[in-house]
Amino acid sequence: MQFQYNEEQALFKDSLKKFVDDNYAYESRCKLVDSAQGYSEAHWQKLAELGVLGLPFAEEYGGFAGDLPFLTAVAEEFGRGLVVEPFFSTVVLAGQLLASAAPDSIKTELLPKVADGTLKLALAWEERGSRGNPGRTDCTVVDKGDRAILQGEKLAVLGGGSADAMLVTARTDEGKLALLLVNAGVPGLTIKPYALVNGSRGATLSFSDVEATVLQTDALALVQACLDRALIVLCAEALGAMDALMANTLEYSKTRQQFGLPIAAFQALQHRMADMYIACEKTRSLLWAAIQADAQGDCRRAASVLKAEVGSGGRYVGQQAIQLHGGIGMTDELNVGAHFKLLTQIDILCGNRDFHLQRLSDLAEVH
Amino acid sequence: MSVASDQELEKFRLEVRAFLETAPTESILEAGRKTTSVFAPFAPTMAWQKILSDKGWVAPSWPKEFGGTGWDVQQRYIFAEEYNRLCLPPLLPQNLQMVGPAVIGFGSDQQKAELLPRMLSGEDFWCQGYSEPGAGSDLASLKCRADKDGGDYVLNGSKTWTTYAHHANKMFALVRTSSEGKPQRGITFLLLDMNLPGMEVRPIIGLDGCPEQCEVFFSDVRVPQCNRVGNENEGWSVAKYVLEFERGGSTFAPWLNPALERLRQQCGKPLSAQGERLIDDPHIRRRLAALEVDIQAVEHTEKRVNASLKHGENPGPMASLIKIMGSEVMQSFSELQLDVAGLDALPVQREALEIGATPGDIVPEAHSLAMPYYLNTRAASIYAGSNEVQRSLLAKAVLGL
Ligand SMILES: Cc1cc2nc3c(=O)[nH]c(=O)nc-3n(C[C@H](O)[C@H](O)[C@H](O)COP(=O)(O)OP(=O)(O)OC[C@H]3O[C@@H](n4cnc5c(N)ncnc54)[C@H](O)[C@@H]3O)c2cc1C
Repeated sequence: MQFQYNEEQALFKDSLKKFVDDNYAYESRCKLVDSAQGYSEAHWQKLAELGVLGLPFAEEYGGFAGDLPFLTAVAEEFGRGLVVEPFFSTVVLAGQLLASAAPDSIKTELLPKVADGTLKLALAWEERGSRGNPGRTDCTVVDKGDRAILQGEKLAVLGGGSADAMLVTARTDEGKLALLLVNAGVPGLTIKPYALVNGSRGATLSFSDVEATVLQTDALALVQACLDRALIVLCAEALGAMDALMANTLEYSKTRQQFGLPIAAFQALQHRMADMYIACEKTRSLLWAAIQADAQGDCRRAASVLKAEVGSGGRYVGQQAIQLHGGIGMTDELNVGAHFKLLTQIDILCGNRDFHLQRLSDLAEVH
Repeated sequence: MSVASDQELEKFRLEVRAFLETAPTESILEAGRKTTSVFAPFAPTMAWQKILSDKGWVAPSWPKEFGGTGWDVQQRYIFAEEYNRLCLPPLLPQNLQMVGPAVIGFGSDQQKAELLPRMLSGEDFWCQGYSEPGAGSDLASLKCRADKDGGDYVLNGSKTWTTYAHHANKMFALVRTSSEGKPQRGITFLLLDMNLPGMEVRPIIGLDGCPEQCEVFFSDVRVPQCNRVGNENEGWSVAKYVLEFERGGSTFAPWLNPALERLRQQCGKPLSAQGERLIDDPHIRRRLAALEVDIQAVEHTEKRVNASLKHGENPGPMASLIKIMGSEVMQSFSELQLDVAGLDALPVQREALEIGATPGDIVPEAHSLAMPYYLNTRAASIYAGSNEVQRSLLAKAVLGL
């Protein structure tokens, strides 16, 4: 049973910690978030050199065949450091799905470019109406023999503005979920990029008679499995943010003086911080439970359990961190607010707490 | 409490409704819809204040002789209900709930005559200079100094979290005039202009990316001594009086009830062409219902506490009860609203929030407000006395601990 990173994983995690410490001072992060592109191409290249961008792919595709804890290690550090480069969208979501769903020719063409940092991807699946459920889409695809034609709209696509190519889900005539590959420059595709609340970038993608390559015509199980693994990584990012909030709040409470005492001396706040700590530890336990479940071949339930807990635990830790900081917590001057916004965003992405509670009860069997 | 008959109250309600339904301009209505914190958008809200002031309805909580309406508690509640049902922008509290009562309670006749009419009309907008970097919950530890020199006080120090200082032409401030004895003893309540030499205002960017609070710096700023309200070194009593007024004056349920109703209606709209609606999701229905329970509890506590008061009395420590309940239900409401907006809450739509902006085409207007509202509403348990401080007050003053 694995409950912590092994030596190799821990070393890798340390290299990411160093990347974050060297490049992600809060002021530099703010500048990056306000820049036109919203992330740094130099950071991206650095991440390629560190092996982050090819992490989960097989060696034949330029990857390192790193298993799930390597990805969660990266995500924890990125959550702590508030990293905004499109790692999650390119590698964890689209990269891994491409690796499991595309024919070898496409993988050979694209994955090495992802790994060396020359190609960015995005996975476009969430819509206004999907509310966490990948099987539920209003986008449609019609097979015209030699090509497929895609219609519809995807919302808040992570990294959708910077991607060179995207994987898109759409409903077929038979009511199945197809997985398609679309190039960013293709006619009929409109990309409206915007900042998301955590400072990273997303986009609304509108497809009007867009020509697409069909990767799979019945991809729901593949997509769902990929999303479940991705959920675990997303929750590791949340844990990184929760740990950072815990540490920062603890530190602040020892230095902030009111009524002649550090506010950490007030029992009401001590209990609050004890509860924040409990929330962090619950998430950490469930993260490892999910990692183990994945290693054993089925992480559906464990991923939903984790995501549901992160929804409430992350919300609690974020809200209390602000509360204990008082007025300064309500500003963009400290990174507390940025971590809080990241946790808020993570709850909404890929199905919120309510969605995963529902999914869990649907997965439960009653005898 | 005057006992108006139900019939009279109903007549009153219709009169209020008739005016509120027709008086606001389009941009005032828009400001109401686009209010994402307790502080409504400045310009249209001040325009609305002027309209209400011309009608004589701007300060229901003030004594009639100074421009109040002479309504009893029930009428005021009805006014608040009608006001919020129409989603009108809340008037900024600084003039009407803070400095106004201070001047009425402690000001000289000259101050009353000169200042009150301009507070009512909104010709002056006052900001509240209490908090300092080192003095938040422990307000009495404030350090901004006011030294006597000739007929003036000379101010040195700084204030922070001063809401809308960048819009204000006046400030009411607590300053230190003596460091002897208990910290509360040496504080003076002062009125000043915002354009005095030596003053600097720096807006602070909030979680939603917009400036709302400010830092204000004083370097040898001269304020005539006659701008004092009450006696020197006795500003704490003025501030305490105002604080109770501020807390007692706020009611939450008249705002929460129609807000919940709007959210419910929002859930009844189809999510997409396939026609599913959130209101058909049993989980959402239960959460709406649970919120209704919480709001009812706030409403009937407010009404019960109000009913026990004599005219002009304020609720004292029971105001803490209402502040804790109300602010926390507002926060739960903001969470549910966020969950209803779902993915639509993620794109930052700052331009769409501006008054007169063409509606953003990224997400529906109501959903573009959900995130800023959620973020800003975290402040409800921090300002006007944090909820920790309110709980301590309850424990001490009501439970006798
Ligand atoms: C949106 C907003 C608008 C504001 N507008 C104004 C304004 O216009 N003018 C103005 O003067 N001020 C304004 N304020 C400031 C506000 O009054 C202060 O933020 C508030 O008094 C808390 O002080 P602080 O921020 O310094 O937090 P602190 O006092 O440092 O508190 C930090 C944390 O410690 C807790 N704490 C402190 N003491 C105790 C204790 N004894 N027991 C238990 N817990 C304790 C607090 O509850 C809080 O959780 C505004 C604040 C906000 C957020």
